[in-house]
Amino acid sequence: MNQIYKQKHELWLAIAFTSFAINDEKIKSKLYDFSQIAFRHMKWISSELLLAGENYNYDREMQLCKKESLFELIEDLKIKVEAIQNHYPHTRLGSRCRSDDAYLLEYLTSLLGNEQNNHPITAFNRECIYEEKNLSKEQIDALTLFLFEESYKEYELVLVYAYMQARTDDVLQFSVFEDLIAESHFHLKSFGNMMAKLGILALPRELHEMSYVIHDLEKFVRNGIAEEEAAKEMCRELSSKIKDEELSKFFDFINEQESYHIALMQRLLETDISNEAAMTNLDFDEFWSGVDI
Amino acid sequence: MLENIQVPEGMNPEILEHLMNPQNYGKLDAPSGVGVAVDEKSGEYVIFYVQTDGKIIDDLRFATNGCQDTVVVGSMFTQMIKGDAIEYAQASIQKLNDKLSGASAQQQICADMVLSAFIAAMQNYENLQNGKTEEMHVLKMKESCENESDI
Repeated sequence: MNQIYKQKHELWLAIAFTSFAINDEKIKSKLYDFSQIAFRHMKWISSELLLAGENYNYDREMQLCKKESLFELIEDLKIKVEAIQNHYPHTRLGSRCRSDDAYLLEYLTSLLGNEQNNHPITAFNRECIYEEKNLSKEQIDALTLFLFEESYKEYELVLVYAYMQARTDDVLQFSVFEDLIAESHFHLKSFGNMMAKLGILALPRELHEMSYVIHDLEKFVRNGIAEEEAAKEMCRELSSKIKDEELSKFFDFINEQESYHIALMQRLLETDISNEAAMTNLDFDEFWSGVDI
Repeated sequence: MLENIQVPEGMNPEILEHLMNPQNYGKLDAPSGVGVAVDEKSGEYVIFYVQTDGKIIDDLRFATNGCQDTVVVGSMFTQMIKGDAIEYAQASIQKLNDKLSGASAQQQICADMVLSAFIAAMQNYENLQNGKTEEMHVLKMKESCENESDI
């Protein structure tokens, strides 16, 4: 089952990043919906694994498909969806996953049946030009660094919160994690689409277990609040640096959302977060017995 | 090769390449040494895996939850020393430190964390060779990114 979790994780990313890479808004939106369904499959598979007393991790081996035409991307995605089919378990959940994927495969096949859908893909061309906006090199550089920094962070947050949500019995914690996951999905989508516009779309790097096996939830949340503050500052700086009304408004909007994330995280601090034993499988007393340098 | 190292300041095609495709990122299945450098204040870490026979660094990987400067330095440093002698790697640490002397305080802290993680991995290898039982060697950083206002 852990293997199917890994494959589903890779498929979620493949569908989401294919969506980001495509310019056609209708196809982009439809594929993004499918990526969210794939993410829910991940969540349900993780629940079944934990119920069965098994574990899973966020290791992955995938490469992002970087092609120059929409049809090539869709063909590649089709292969990836087909490859997972025989690995689903023969359970109610396995049946649901197969049914959803069959519908997705039909949609992908229908796209390939109409040559008018085949558009050039510019998401990987590294041109670093943002639509028709007249941004200076300095502004593009700042935007590029921001997008790499924050797309990784949002991916990390989605997975870390999902890992913790799967392991909590506290209703309020579960609800806060749900909101934070949804928010990070939206940010990841926004930043992924912006990276594609700049021609620098890339997968966020893989998460190491040290990032998601949380041994001290309170410390994690406090560090998370500090990170949100740093992200707010980056948004503020970027908003003032980029002399474009539309982009500045967007970063102010993201900045305000980060403020509410902090409020949500502060709610976590009000819950019983001393019960973090279930969230770790590492012996951290031994782990931290290092030497100062 | 050392002459080609560029401090990640501003954006150029080489830096962009490291951002889009960090080299030697991830884990090794059966490493000879594992080291971690951790900033306890911010929770940031770099973990380093090395595969060595004591003379040559045959393979290596790193992973981090840190910023893009850390990723770029890690990618460059691992690319630089992979397949080379340990002595070369040790000399590279000093040369890289010299090169970074003009970089921002934050970049120096990030680079220091990468280099410390590598040193920790080599220490773990040495400890294991000397019969010590140690899953990984951990070094706690004294300087924290969190102190820097230009994050």
